[in-house]
Amino acid sequence: MHSRLFWTLILALTLAAGLSSACTRSGDNPGTTGTTGTSVGVRVSRIDMGRSLTADKTINDKTDSFKPNDTIYASIATEGTAATATLKARWTYQDGQAVNESTQTIAPTGDARTEFHVSKPDGWPTGKYKLEIFLNGFSAATKDFEVER
Amino acid sequence: MGIFDKKDDTPPDSRPDFSNVSSGGSSTAPGAPQPTGTLGSGRTYVVVKGDSLSKIAKREYGDANKWRTIYEANKDLINDPDLIYPGQELKVPGA
Repeated sequence: MHSRLFWTLILALTLAAGLSSACTRSGDNPGTTGTTGTSVGVRVSRIDMGRSLTADKTINDKTDSFKPNDTIYASIATEGTAATATLKARWTYQDGQAVNESTQTIAPTGDARTEFHVSKPDGWPTGKYKLEIFLNGFSAATKDFEVER
Repeated sequence: MGIFDKKDDTPPDSRPDFSNVSSGGSSTAPGAPQPTGTLGSGRTYVVVKGDSLSKIAKREYGDANKWRTIYEANKDLINDPDLIYPGQELKVPGA
């Protein structure tokens, strides 16, 4: 009986360790780019979304809810300095269907704003969408939004 | 006729088509070329629905009155400065 209890405890500890590891890999929070390349010290600090931009690339009218005919803007705030850093925006629909992907290479010398925008001439299907921002190939932040009639 | 004879029982493909999505971007960071690459000393901008030359000039230069700079750089693409189309790649000089 003691032996059975021992092996049950071992199994439980193994499962707990696995879950803990999976949780720490979540990319939902903005983060740094790690220690590789020239982007050390650059991080994504914020994503704002809306229907229009100001001249300094910030969002004029922040919202996470859009209409089918909207052009959707995302303003990515970065902090830090790098000779080069690559930001990629991956837009997906519902269960992960690819919507669009685009990349910009920046050379930030401090706080900066980079905007990405998407539009669809025949209107966006209603439903839930997700924007994921990658910094030098690593997931740095995500933002959920939806399109409603 | 059995139910298996009805060919239209197959559910339609409900996945939406995103192949016509247009995208673009810009940055306040220096040395930040557009996603579509650089051209000369400027960069390119992909027109999206609702754009006009003055809107693009406002966004890129902070001054809508600079639309003519974009028009002059793209005379080979634009016949009428009041008519630009989603998907057009415009040169944005010195933005």
